[in-house]
Amino acid sequence: MKAEVHIINERCKGCNICIEICQASVLEISEEINSNGYHPPVVKNIEACINCGMCEMFCPDFAIWVTVTKEAEVNI
Amino acid sequence: MVKNIEKSHPADCFLRADPVSSVWCPGCGIGTVINTFIQTVEKLNIDLNEICVVSGIGCTGKVAEYLKFKSFQVNDGEVIKYAAKVKSENSDSKVVVFSNNADFLVSGAEDFIEIGKNDVNILVIHINNIIYTITENRAIPTTPFMRASINKDFELPFNIPHLAKSCGARYVARWTPLHAGWLMYSIIDAFYKKGFSVIEVISPCLMYYASNDRMADAAGRMKFYDTNSVIKQDEFTENLDIRINNKIIIGKFVDKK
Ligand code: SF4
Ligand code: SF4
Ligand code: SF4
Repeated sequence: MKAEVHIINERCKGCNICIEICQASVLEISEEINSNGYHPPVVKNIEACINCGMCEMFCPDFAIWVTVTKEAEVNI
Repeated sequence: MVKNIEKSHPADCFLRADPVSSVWCPGCGIGTVINTFIQTVEKLNIDLNEICVVSGIGCTGKVAEYLKFKSFQVNDGEVIKYAAKVKSENSDSKVVVFSNNADFLVSGAEDFIEIGKNDVNILVIHINNIIYTITENRAIPTTPFMRASINKDFELPFNIPHLAKSCGARYVARWTPLHAGWLMYSIIDAFYKKGFSVIEVISPCLMYYASNDRMADAAGRMKFYDTNSVIKQDEFTENLDIRINNKIIIGKFVDKK
């Protein structure tokens, strides 16, 4: 399983809720500025993402979401 | 200038707005409540046309503009009355009201009581932003106890879960935006009630409390909710007053068939 975090920079209002709520410290504030003057988050460590969906659940502006791609079948 | 965005969020099919962000302040709890509501609708797999959204004035009033359901935005004090009318005309749909203090506490409280007594099948999601002054520095019905407005106006705040229970609501709960997961299950429970249900969400306005260290920014606000709330299921609604320096009691208080 490979999680991928998508961020729509233009929608983000830089409230940092996603950064604060992520228990795996996947996200951080970026240097980039969007056209409204906010710093959107950026993915710094995608390997740590546990696909909990918390960032997606709490974002007030629908700017971030997570998808999962199955890389290979897992044999148990 | 609006830039084109190639990617689209899974919730975009529920939003009326183009890819620019909403009108609310960065990190306002209203956004999180809307997000939770949409995820609930997605989870329950309900058709868009089976939900009517009614909202009133102020920040919460923008919800109807933002969501792509059958939505209605009405004048202050008329939300609950209007929602009952919408329900009578769309008896197959679930009517969800997003209200704030001005929508039925400042005026229109009699409609809330009447419609609660008549057990009309609507779900009221009341976003309580506990502001303490409005125009002309008056206190408002949810100004917390012992908190004066600028012109030293005191107010005994409304206890909304108690009001709802007294009116005979079938489902009464209170959460904060931090408890989005609980809120989701509350919305699911209330969705299938065949009567009046009220869910209060405590989400203090970021602008009004900007001078308060503990609540200054949106991310720090989540910590505030964590340390200043306590879950007490089935607590007596008499005890649910909000007081400065007391913990906010949240949970599910009434759940009738
Ligand atoms: S899905 Fe969970 S772990 Fe991954 S970035 Fe979001 S909050 Fe962090
Ligand atoms: S929660 Fe949403 S709006 Fe806030 S910083 Fe993260 S992506 Fe941006
Ligand atoms: S923070 Fe206050 S003023 Fe801003 S959108 Fe929320 S309720 Fe309205």
